[in-house]
Amino acid sequence: MTPLLEIDDIYASYGGALVLDGVSLSVDEGETVGLIGRNGAGKSTTLLSIYGVPTVRGEIRVSGKALGKRQYEPASRGVSLVPQGKRIYPNLTVEENIMLGRASGRKGAWTVARLKELFPNLARASGRPGNQLSGGEQQMLAIARALMAEPQVLLLDEPTEGLAPVIIDELIDALRVIQEAGTALVLVEQHIRMVQQLATRFVALGKGRVVTQGAVGDLETRAVQQLVAL
Amino acid sequence: MNLAQVLNGLALGALLMILSSGLALIYGLRGVMNFSHGALYMLGAYLAYEVTSQGLSFWLALILAPLGLAIVGAALELGFFRRLQRRSHIEVGLVTFGIALVIDRLIVIVWGDNTLPVRAPKAVDGTTNVFGTDYPTYRLLMIVVAIAMAAALVLWLRNSRVGLHIRAASHDTETSGILGINVDRVSLVVVMLGGALAGLAGTLAAPYFSVSPGMGQSILITVLIVVVVGGIGSVGGAMAAALLLGLVQIMGNVWLPSVAVLVPYALLIVVLLWRPTGLAGKRV
Repeated sequence: MTPLLEIDDIYASYGGALVLDGVSLSVDEGETVGLIGRNGAGKSTTLLSIYGVPTVRGEIRVSGKALGKRQYEPASRGVSLVPQGKRIYPNLTVEENIMLGRASGRKGAWTVARLKELFPNLARASGRPGNQLSGGEQQMLAIARALMAEPQVLLLDEPTEGLAPVIIDELIDALRVIQEAGTALVLVEQHIRMVQQLATRFVALGKGRVVTQGAVGDLETRAVQQLVAL
Repeated sequence: MNLAQVLNGLALGALLMILSSGLALIYGLRGVMNFSHGALYMLGAYLAYEVTSQGLSFWLALILAPLGLAIVGAALELGFFRRLQRRSHIEVGLVTFGIALVIDRLIVIVWGDNTLPVRAPKAVDGTTNVFGTDYPTYRLLMIVVAIAMAAALVLWLRNSRVGLHIRAASHDTETSGILGINVDRVSLVVVMLGGALAGLAGTLAAPYFSVSPGMGQSILITVLIVVVVGGIGSVGGAMAAALLLGLVQIMGNVWLPSVAVLVPYALLIVVLLWRPTGLAGKRV
C-alpha cells in the first residue's frame, strides 16, 4: 500500500547549519505517528520542510505523488499543519480564522458548526478576535482551522505547549474524535504521555537524523528512553 | 473657515484617500513602500488627458485609466515585487524609485513637459448649491467617488473570500501559504487594485489640477505622510488620515498661508509623538 505521506531522505539547513540530515518518515492512512526528540533535534523543521521552510533537498510525496515547491500546495493535497505557537491571526475573528482553512479548496465533512461542536469554547468566542482568546482556545482554533482544510493527514507541532493539564485532556479527547474520522496524525510532542495515549508508532530524531523508531510500547524500554532522552 | 473651504479640504482628502488606500494595501501585503505610486497617479492623469483629447468621454477615461494602470500594476508585481520579495525593503524601495523616474521620463517623451488641460464633463462642470454656498460640482463628485470607493473597498475586504485572504496574508504571509492561500495570486490582485486606484485618483485629479510632469512627485510625499500617519499598512487608518490631512492642509492654507507647505510634516510629527505607530496602529 502506498503511504499517505512520505518524507524521503531530506536535507535542510538554516544559515549554513545542517538541521535535517537525511530524514525519512512515512505515514499511512488513518495512523498516528509520534515524532519525538530533544529540543533542536529537527522535529519542527521536518514538518515545516513539507512547506519548503526552509528549502529542502530530497523528495516529499503525498499518496505517491511528489509535492511541488509551492507553499500552498500541501494544503490542497490534504496535508494540514497546526504550527508551533499556534499562529492565530489576532486581527481576524474566530470564525474568520476558521474559514481560512477553506483556502485549501478541499471539500468534506468538516463545517464551522461541526467544529464548534468539537470545541464548544470556540462557539462561545465566535465573534471575538484571535488575540482575545486564551492559550487553550487559540490552540483549539488552530486545530479547527487546520481541520477546515479537510486534511487526510494533520500535522501537530507541540500542541500542548504552555497548556494546563485540564486543557490537554480536552485536546486529547478532540484528537481522538479526529482519529475516529479517519484522519492520520503526526504528533510532534515533548509531552510523551500524549504520544503514548494517541500514537501507534513513534519516530525519534536526534541532531537532524532518525535515531530510532518503533511501536509506541517500545517507549517504555530503558534503552529507547536513553536514546531519545525523554 | 467657511463651508466651501471645508469642502475643499474634503476634496483634497478624497484624492489622498484613493491614493493612500492603494499604497497601504501594497505595503501591507508586499512590505514594499512603493515610491512609484505618485508616477502611477500621474500616468492615470495623462491617460485621462489622452482619452479626452481624442474626443472621447471623460466618463470613459474614468474606466479606461484605472484599467490601464491595473495592467501596469500587474507588470510591476510580476516583473519586480514578486522577484524581489526576499530582498530588503530599502532595495525594493530604491527599485520603485527608479521605476518612478522611468515613468516620469516616458511621460515627458510622449506628452512633452507642458501643462495640459482636461475639462470636466459638462454635467458636472458648473456649481451646486450646498447649504447656501455655490460650490463646484466636479469637486463634489470627487468627494462622492472617494466615499463610494472607500465603502466598496472596506465591504470587499471584510466580506469577500479574497478580502479575507488579503487581510490574512497582510498579517502573516508564511502562515497564509501554509494554510493554502496562494499569496502570489493575492498579491497580484492587490498590486493591480493599487494601480487601478492610482489611475482613478489621477483621472479625478486631471480636471482639478490640470496635468503636468512632476504632479506625481509633489503628491507622493503627502501620500507617504498619510500612510505613516494612518498606521503603515492600515487601509482604514490611511483613509481617516487622508481626510484629516486634507482638512488640516486647507486650514493651514487659510490661517497660516506663509507656512502652509509645512502642515503635512507638522501633522506627521504631532501624530507620531502621540501615537508612534500611527492612528490605526497599536500603541507601543
